[in-house]
Order: sequence, then structure tokens, then C-alpha cells
Amino acid sequence: MIARIKSEITLWRVIVAIIFVTGIYATYLRFFEGFRASTNLSDQMPWGLWVGLGTLCGVGLSAAGFGISAAVYLLGMERYRPILRASILISFLGYLTVCVGYLYEIGLPWRFWYPIVMWNHKSVLFDVCVCIMTYTTVLTFEFAPAVIEKLPWKRFRETVLRYHHKILIGVVLAGVLLSSMHQSYLGGLYLIARGKVHPLWYSQYMHAMFYLSAIPAGLALTVMAIYLCMRSLNVRIDFSILSDCGRMIQLLLIVYAFFKVLDLIANQALGYAFQRTNEAGYFWLEVVLFLAIPITLLSFESVRANPEKLYWACAFVVAGFMVDRLNVSINALQTAMGTHYVPKWSELASSVLMIAAGVMAFRYAVIYLDILPKAPRPPVNRWMANGGLAAQA
Amino acid sequence: MAQEKALLIDIKRCIGCLSCETACKQLHGFGTEPEPTLSDTAFTVVEARGDKFVRKICMHCEDPACASACPVGAISKTALGPVVYDAGKCIGCRYCMLACPYQVPRYQWTKLAPFVKKCDLCSDRIKAGKSTACAEACPVRATVFGNRDDLINEAWNRIRGDKSYVPHIWGVEELGGGSVLFVSDVPFEKLGFKPAPSGNQPMPTLTASALGDSPKVVIMGGTILSALYWVTQRRREVALAEAEEKATIAKIKGKRT
Repeated sequence: MIARIKSEITLWRVIVAIIFVTGIYATYLRFFEGFRASTNLSDQMPWGLWVGLGTLCGVGLSAAGFGISAAVYLLGMERYRPILRASILISFLGYLTVCVGYLYEIGLPWRFWYPIVMWNHKSVLFDVCVCIMTYTTVLTFEFAPAVIEKLPWKRFRETVLRYHHKILIGVVLAGVLLSSMHQSYLGGLYLIARGKVHPLWYSQYMHAMFYLSAIPAGLALTVMAIYLCMRSLNVRIDFSILSDCGRMIQLLLIVYAFFKVLDLIANQALGYAFQRTNEAGYFWLEVVLFLAIPITLLSFESVRANPEKLYWACAFVVAGFMVDRLNVSINALQTAMGTHYVPKWSELASSVLMIAAGVMAFRYAVIYLDILPKAPRPPVNRWMANGGLAAQA
Repeated sequence: MAQEKALLIDIKRCIGCLSCETACKQLHGFGTEPEPTLSDTAFTVVEARGDKFVRKICMHCEDPACASACPVGAISKTALGPVVYDAGKCIGCRYCMLACPYQVPRYQWTKLAPFVKKCDLCSDRIKAGKSTACAEACPVRATVFGNRDDLINEAWNRIRGDKSYVPHIWGVEELGGGSVLFVSDVPFEKLGFKPAPSGNQPMPTLTASALGDSPKVVIMGGTILSALYWVTQRRREVALAEAEEKATIAKIKGKRT
């Protein structure tokens, strides 16, 4: 008996357990002890890791859903249909974590619904709130067939799916517009903080920069997730689709880099990159991780064609993207706000809890629903053992 | 029509007695120990800059960044001048704190139901025809309360009557102006007044252009995407029809031979 229990304890399960215990304790601190006990936020740094990692990265990395659904439904790029559901699922889960994170962020979480009835159309944050709420609904709708088709009632299933199909294109179109709007509005949030955001990041086109950087990052996360599914969940997919995604990511990164340089020149901010400041250091970290390494790596055919190498190239994109969002939301503000902010452990723990919950939900959805094509063999449940290596198919 | 009220703060006259700070705290029922910076229990503080004293206080902008930022419209500029906060609407997002160019709004970080705290220019007292508590308490008339237009005249009179004043009233035009005005005998930049981040433009104009574009983007984007969808569908239909045609022709040919 004890031996059996022991064999169930694997490294990854222990890590997951730690994440859940610390995350739930951090959640308790947030809701029952308040901000002072659970965060290092202050009057000088009113927005910290929850906004930077939870909202900005969460929404940005969920950008693949609208990108792939636009490509497949609106542009007729049928080639990408096999990864359509996976990308929608990632976006759906990403937005759910953002919605839960929103409850942590606002001081009076029981008033979360106020923006629905109290409108201030001059506020970028109001637009972000409304867009995210609407788009989460759209994603629920787009993802719903994966669950509905598993329901046992045949008549119900067919009726619902028939009507679903009739309005799908309209919903997809609305979804593409909604996400384009709020992906950029997240950058637009900082437009009003002129004089506070460091010139390396502040620009009157911040919203456009956010939009341009979100799409490659969201695609990269999707590639990573699908690769992991292929490795550990018995998923079989034509790898050339992911290779093409790699090419697309590279192209989008080059476009972003081009506009970023233009923007820096137009704002006469290029000089700040060569000063000996913390901001310049963070800026170069972002440039190297998000642009230099991935663009170089992805230009090699051998990297794009090799699943593991492509995975790592995408990992750089995602990491670099996160550095960018944390730079804008935290590092770019510190000097002007006259403060030094280091997130408290509980801020990180609750964020990691939500990411872990999202990853687990994704895994179970891939196992039990028809998200990605699977080889005809029962899925390996112990994918987490040996860091997933044991489950290599 | 009610005239817009304002405060005129004269840095040359201020003796740093903290009467304004204490009066403000007493009015709101906070403890009377002075605090070094603004806090959720200090809506105004007197900061020493060299041998001068500068009051830190909400500037009650004409077009406030905080009011435009608030997603639920909990902050608004009233006709009488004060920028007021409606705690009944606030959701606690703290975007006003990020938006304020003067870093004025403070948060009750220690509370479980925290609210934003800042000076409201004694809105209730003003409505009742009284002066603000800080102006009433000032023993040397370094802070005076009155109609904004009258105070601007008063400020110019002080500047004209005394050559030592800097010939500028801070707060008339900066960021679109506000209901708190400063005059000084020391250049403002030496007193910690930062150059206004968007000149004499109100901060909300920074987001207005981005937001104003969105209807256009939505209409254009919607049209383009619909057009693309139509093209894709049409192509598919044509391809399908062509394939069918070929199949029929092949059938007919097959029959003939």
C-alpha cells in the first residue's frame, strides 16, 4: 500500500501540490487579510505583478485564438484547422484566468460587475473591461461545441450545433474585432501615464505596439502547448503546420521589430537604450529574448523543422514577451514613481496558481475532449512523471 | 450660475506653520500628527523645499486624468471646482492613481474594503457657501479661497506689486489648468514642480485620439474582414462548381466512348 502511494509521488506532482497549497494560502491572504498582507503594492506602485503578469501577459498570450480563427474561418486557410480548437481553448482558458485575476486585482471584488452598468466611455480601462467580458463570452461560444458534442442527448446536440453553425461566422468576426480592440487597449491604458512610463516604452502608439507584439507571442504559446501535447498526450498532428506557424511568428516579430525601431526613432528615445540605467538593461533583455534570439533561430530551416528546437525558439518568444509586459507595467514606472517594487511571494504564488490551473484544465480538455487529433491508443495519464519524458510516444 | 471656486497658494507668504494640514486632518477626524507625504489620512501636506514650503494637494484639474481614467465614472469635476470621488461607485481598480500626473490619489492599503482617498476641496463646505478648512486656518493668507477668476486677478496683482515674484501662475494653464493656483518667488522647477508631461494639453487628450479611432477601426476592420470572408466563400463555391462541371463532362465523355 505504502509502496503504491510512494510510486504515485512524482517530482511534478509534488511541484503541483506546492503550487496549489501556496497559491490557496496567498488567495486567503488576499481576500481575508487585504492588500497590505498579500502584496507589496503602494501608493507609488498601484499596479504590480497581478496586472503585469496576470492581465497583460494573460491576455497577450491568449491572442492565438482570434488569429487562428480569423485565418481559418474568415480567410479560408483550412490548413490550420487542426490547431484551431487548441488555440481557441488556450485563449478561452487564458481569458478565464484573467477574469479570475481581476477579482484579486480590484479592491472591492464584489463590485466586479459595476463596469457593466456604470459606463465611462472616456476610460480605456472601461473599454478593456467590456471587451474582455464580451470576448470571453465569444470564446465560450466558440469553444462550446467541443463540450456539446460529448453530451449524450442526440436531438439536443444536433439542434444546438445546427444553430451554432448558423451564427458562428458572425461571432468569429465580432471576436476578431473585439480582441484586436482590447489587445491594443491594454497598451492604451498607459497612454495617460505620460511622464511616468520610461521613454523606451512610452509612445503615442503604445496601443499599436501591444497589438503587434501580442499575436506572435500568442502563436508561440500555442505552438509550445501543441508540442507538449504531441510529446506526452499521444497527439498526432502534421508537424509542418507548426513549422509554418514558426515562419509566421518570425515574420510577425520582424514586423514588430521594424515598428519598434521606427517608434523609438520618432520619439527620439533611441539614446536611452545606451545609457547606463536599469531601464536600458531591461530593454535589452527584452530585445534579446523577444526579438534577437527567436528571429535568428527561426530563420534556420533546421530549427523550424525540428519539434524540440521550434519549441525552444517559441519559449524565447513567450519569455521575451513576458519581459516586455512586465517592463511596461512595472520597470518602466519605477524611476518616475520614485519607488522600487519587488512583488511579494503571495502575489507570485497566486499568479502561478492560476497559470497551473489553466495548464491542468488544458491537459484534461485535450485528454477527454476532441481538441487535437490523437493516435488510437489511450492517452498516457502519467505525463508529468520524469518531466514528461516517460510519456514520450 | 455658480462661479468656479479655487485656492490660491502663495509660496512666498507661507511660513510652514502646518495650520492647513492640521485643520484638514481635524475636519476629517484623522489624528493630528503631521505626515511626511500625502496618505489616506493626509489630503494635504506642507513640504519643505530649501527654505520654502510647498503645499502638496489635489490640483482639481479642469479636465482631470483621474476622472477620464475611472472605468465606472466614480470621479468627476463639479461645476463649483472640486474634483470629487464617489465611493459608492468605486471598484478599487486604482487606475486613477496610475493616471494622475501629480500622484495625488491614495489608497487604503490596510483595509479589507479599501477606497481611494484624496482632497475634495471641501466640496460640502463650498456648497454651503463656506471656505475650505485649509484656507480658513491659514494665519498669513498664504492659502486663500475664492472665485477662480478673482484669484487669478489677485495673483497677478501680487506679482505686479512685488518684483520678487516669478511672473507666472502655476495651475492656470498647466495640463489644461485646475482649481489650485500657485505663485512663488522661487522658480517653480526648483520647488519640485515637474514640467507638465503634456504641456498645456489636458492628460485625457492623450487617450482620446486612440479611443476616438476605435469606431473607425471597427467599421473598417469589420468591412474588410466581411469582404475577405465573402471572397473566400465565393472562391470555394467557384472551385466546387468547377469540380462538379469537370466531373459531369468526364461522365458524359465516358458515356460516349
